[in-house]
Amino acid sequence: MRRIKRKRKQKQSVSSNRNAHPSTNQETGRNRLLLSPSIKDNIEQIQRSIGPSSDVTIRQFCSQKGGDADIAIIFIDGMVNENIISDFIITPIMGKVELLRHSLSPLFDLEQKILQVGNVKRISEFESLYTSILSGDTVILLDKITEGIVIDTKSWEGRGVTEAQAQTVIRGPHEGFTEALRVNTSLIRRRIKDKNLCIETKQIGTRTKTEVAIIYIKDIADEKIVQEVRNRLEHIQLDGILDSGNIEELIQDNTFTPFPTIQNSERPDSTSAGILEGRVAIIVDGSPYALLVPALFIQFLQSPEDYYQRLGYGFIRFLRYVSVFISLLAPSLYIAITTFHQEMLKTTLLISIAAQREGIPFPAFVEALIMEITFELLREAGIRMPRAIGPAISIVGALVLGEAAVGASLVSPAMVIVVSITAIAGFTFPTFSIGIPFRILRFGLMVLAATFGLFGIIVGLIAVILHLCSLQSFGVPYMYPFAPLEMNDQKDAVIRFPKWMMKSRPKPFTKWNQVRMGNSYALNNRKNKR
Amino acid sequence: MCFRFKISILFLLVITVLTGCWSRRELNDLAIVVAIGIDQAENGQYLVSAQVVNPAEIASQSGSGAGTINYSPITTYQAKADTIVEALRKITTVSPRKIYVSHIRMLVIGEEVAKNGIANVLDFFSRDHEFRTDFFITVTKDTTAEKVLSVYTELEKIPANKLFNSLEMSERYWAPTRGVFLDELLSDLILEGKEPVLTAITITGDYETGEEETNVQEIIQDAQLKYENIGVFKKDKLVGWLNTEESKGFNYITGTVNNTVGHMSCPDGGKFSKEQIVAKSKITPKIVNGKPEIFVHIWTESNIAEVNCQIDLSKMETIKQLEKLASGEIEKHANLAIEKAQKEFQSDIFGFGDLIYRKNPKTWKKLKDHWDEAFSAMPVHVKVDVHIRRFGTIENSFLEELNSTSEEKESE
Repeated sequence: MRRIKRKRKQKQSVSSNRNAHPSTNQETGRNRLLLSPSIKDNIEQIQRSIGPSSDVTIRQFCSQKGGDADIAIIFIDGMVNENIISDFIITPIMGKVELLRHSLSPLFDLEQKILQVGNVKRISEFESLYTSILSGDTVILLDKITEGIVIDTKSWEGRGVTEAQAQTVIRGPHEGFTEALRVNTSLIRRRIKDKNLCIETKQIGTRTKTEVAIIYIKDIADEKIVQEVRNRLEHIQLDGILDSGNIEELIQDNTFTPFPTIQNSERPDSTSAGILEGRVAIIVDGSPYALLVPALFIQFLQSPEDYYQRLGYGFIRFLRYVSVFISLLAPSLYIAITTFHQEMLKTTLLISIAAQREGIPFPAFVEALIMEITFELLREAGIRMPRAIGPAISIVGALVLGEAAVGASLVSPAMVIVVSITAIAGFTFPTFSIGIPFRILRFGLMVLAATFGLFGIIVGLIAVILHLCSLQSFGVPYMYPFAPLEMNDQKDAVIRFPKWMMKSRPKPFTKWNQVRMGNSYALNNRKNKR
Repeated sequence: MCFRFKISILFLLVITVLTGCWSRRELNDLAIVVAIGIDQAENGQYLVSAQVVNPAEIASQSGSGAGTINYSPITTYQAKADTIVEALRKITTVSPRKIYVSHIRMLVIGEEVAKNGIANVLDFFSRDHEFRTDFFITVTKDTTAEKVLSVYTELEKIPANKLFNSLEMSERYWAPTRGVFLDELLSDLILEGKEPVLTAITITGDYETGEEETNVQEIIQDAQLKYENIGVFKKDKLVGWLNTEESKGFNYITGTVNNTVGHMSCPDGGKFSKEQIVAKSKITPKIVNGKPEIFVHIWTESNIAEVNCQIDLSKMETIKQLEKLASGEIEKHANLAIEKAQKEFQSDIFGFGDLIYRKNPKTWKKLKDHWDEAFSAMPVHVKVDVHIRRFGTIENSFLEELNSTSEEKESE
């Protein structure tokens, strides 16, 4: 129901787009413009369309003395490898210009005898010619011929493969994705050398024409899910895709939930692990974050490190579940207990908290709110500010807000401790996006705690849990394997079980090929016996 | 969507009426009461004293700087009224904050109130929802609850905490005291065939200086709060006291001795002390010739704690002898307690009646109506097994060698 609505909305937005930009309509119109036999006309047409831009280079030369230009090489400066163009395109053409002039099928000769490059194809439409040129290919046009040759000469400056910035590990690969799609797909291909690994690419964005790759393993992934991904991507009719975040928002199941239902990863290894589980990765050109669908709640709390360190580390994952509750509940529990349920505290603890609250002018709720908002401000400032003034923020944060606020009896030290613990717990999540819902819901629970005490917190928690259980990601229940409860997949939930015990892939992602481990289980046992 | 919206509104409305008894109270609006004292006032009224914590003073680290007033860590507010709850509410006329009683550690009942009956007092404490039942109840001896709650104490700034911890510790390591919680007291009161006891609290030394702050500035305090004796009740009325030895015997019989020390005379003069480490007791009622008799079997393990006489601990016979002596000592204490309870108070504080009821309800039905007389006349047989296990880090006392060397010198 909701999806139909969304589709309708998209259609509306598309139609409004059309009204606003009639030229778009022309370009994508049904009467596709074909190349004309006259190279002069073609070049004029190109110049009219994309010529005014200064980086469009049209190199023309003639094959015989005194004649008009009958060969044109068109490319965009800065997006091509100029060495390829000069050494392997222009030099051979000029050297064999006689052959070309007398040739009966010059395109065939160009392809077969002259051009010394790898990826060559023919085109006959202006529309795809523009797309090729604008994405860094070089186009060769010949006079009297209604086809052009497109040579892949894409090459531009980009960031090299560097360490992952946000999802770091101690042990395990440090590589992170880059902005270049092909680099990213190669990072995955390098890890999974399986003939069944499919990388489907499509262009999304009517103007940006961003390449988007869908990656999955054919004989593991559930075809229904893959088809669902294709469908949802098909329906995107946005003019521009600048990051995978844009796509995430358009294909997710539920917009009005604080919880992310699509996982993102900047790590090729965890993306590959997801693909091996039977999930589908979506990589967007220009974004170092791959999307993984379907996503489960527990997967946001799994760090790749859980699998790379020895078994004991798998238990550390339990800590993250604890920190979910701390991050969500610590301030509201403090408020509820100190303003409603003082009898729950030990007498000595009560007295020491009461002593700290002596002379504090605000109720505990306002106090907590002030501190929480301050911390959120600091955190936001920490991300946005220029690197050079970083230390200033920490001084202001630690000294002015921490020390001075307590010294001035505006905030009690116990509250500072509670807020700090909450903040620290919020930083233990391996995926940044799972921290956001807890940050938001925390405030709601604080209000409930201040009005109804523990009772309010419990009601709020029940509401959150009900909501979580109602969520789905590409048809898979979000809270799997807790709701619905699946004992077999508990092996990778709260704590990680030994690798040899996790013989099968998570059930909801794959309908066949569920066994991922062969004989190593038996091997392990045999070794133990010896 | 509309339906969901309506449902959530409904939930919110339900929340507001479901909350039951609650109220939002900021911590700094509460007067945290740690002890309540109840005395008899004129005209059948009660004088209620509430010891309230002054949190800022308790937790202050810097202490009092120059020019600041030295506040007392606690304040005792008082009010007189016909009922306890009235008096507690009346306290707001003198206290700036609302009285908050969840955290009381001690309920001190004045001797006079105890003699008149404590049942009326206890109703409020068991009825009010704010109370937890983990506070100790004591009765004052030779003083009033009001005075007990206004003595400065050292080490624990809050006198109520001192009283609580001291009772807990003395019960565990000294034995002749008994920490009684509210639920225990109430069940003893209600139970047929068992009478309640409460440990007594007194003020030693000069009460007048105990009230002053100087009391805690001295190394040996002038006035101190001290647990002494156990108050014996009959129904809800205080009838008398067990002294230290009888209290110990009482605790041995009920099996509540955890750890204690006691001295005995050696066979050849001098004294030795043993430390009790395990004590168990088993009480079996038996019907002999149609009349009930009680057999108490006390089984203990002890260590030698101190030897001030010449005995040879390396010999098995000596140990046997000492065990016998120790058994005799415990037996003596137990018999003293039984005798006092039977003859003087006619109050079954040991719960023998309850045990008879459990073992033999029919007999109990016959005994019930004249239980006090039956209890007084009932023969109680106490048997004590003492096992001495360890001597500490030395075996025979060095006193022996000391004496022998001095004798040698004299002979020279």
